[in-house]
Amino acid sequence: MNPFGILIGLVTFTIIGLGFPLVIRGERYLGYLWWPYMMGIGFLIIIASLFISTDWLSVVTGVLGATFVWGSTELKEQAVRAELGWFPFNANKIKPPFEEVIKKWKAPHL
Amino acid sequence: MEINTLGLTAALTAFLSIWLGHVAVRKIEATSRTIWIPTITALALGLITEYCSLITDNLSLKTALGILGVTLLWDAFELHRQEKRVKHGHAPANPNNPRHAKILAEHSTATTLDLLKRDPVGRPVPPDEAPKLITH
Repeated sequence: MNPFGILIGLVTFTIIGLGFPLVIRGERYLGYLWWPYMMGIGFLIIIASLFISTDWLSVVTGVLGATFVWGSTELKEQAVRAELGWFPFNANKIKPPFEEVIKKWKAPHL
Repeated sequence: MEINTLGLTAALTAFLSIWLGHVAVRKIEATSRTIWIPTITALALGLITEYCSLITDNLSLKTALGILGVTLLWDAFELHRQEKRVKHGHAPANPNNPRHAKILAEHSTATTLDLLKRDPVGRPVPPDEAPKLITH
């Protein structure tokens, strides 16, 4: 009867909760075209978790990475929400490197 | 260096259970005639999953069930948030569902249109233009 899983569940809940403002603010100031970078950061964080020998720290790192990957798939829809006025719209976004290339890719949405 | 796959297990479980919950909540809320039956079901499944996490000895399984259980408990709450979105017109109402038909009759903001089903255009979109941009 070891509550490790339940505690991890609660920590996961908190980390996913932080994903909401991450997506909202990220889209507002940077724009949805940053999605490949956000996804890449997520995968790097997950890979980093493989090299952490402390179990709970590896788990927290893995979940943090998953939150970034999931967040990257939410950016496009968040951009539409801001355009519709459901969230504040910011016209002066910081453009991502290789913006023109990224525009040709289909932004993921699940 | 020893590889620890526990973080990867947690990442996969978190991603897949968020995805599952995201799709299931929208689908179930749109088709279910009642909101309380799916809510109670998600709550019960979440609690059972957490209990299974508590009693198993396998650390990977313990972790995965702990994460899945919490997302199921959250999904119970999301069902209500989804119904609110439908009332606000932020999620499409299903006219074939009597509960949604009632929402459409009582809330002027409710709509059958999925206003999010399009690509961003990079500028604010006024309400009268929004339906024209939806892609089918």
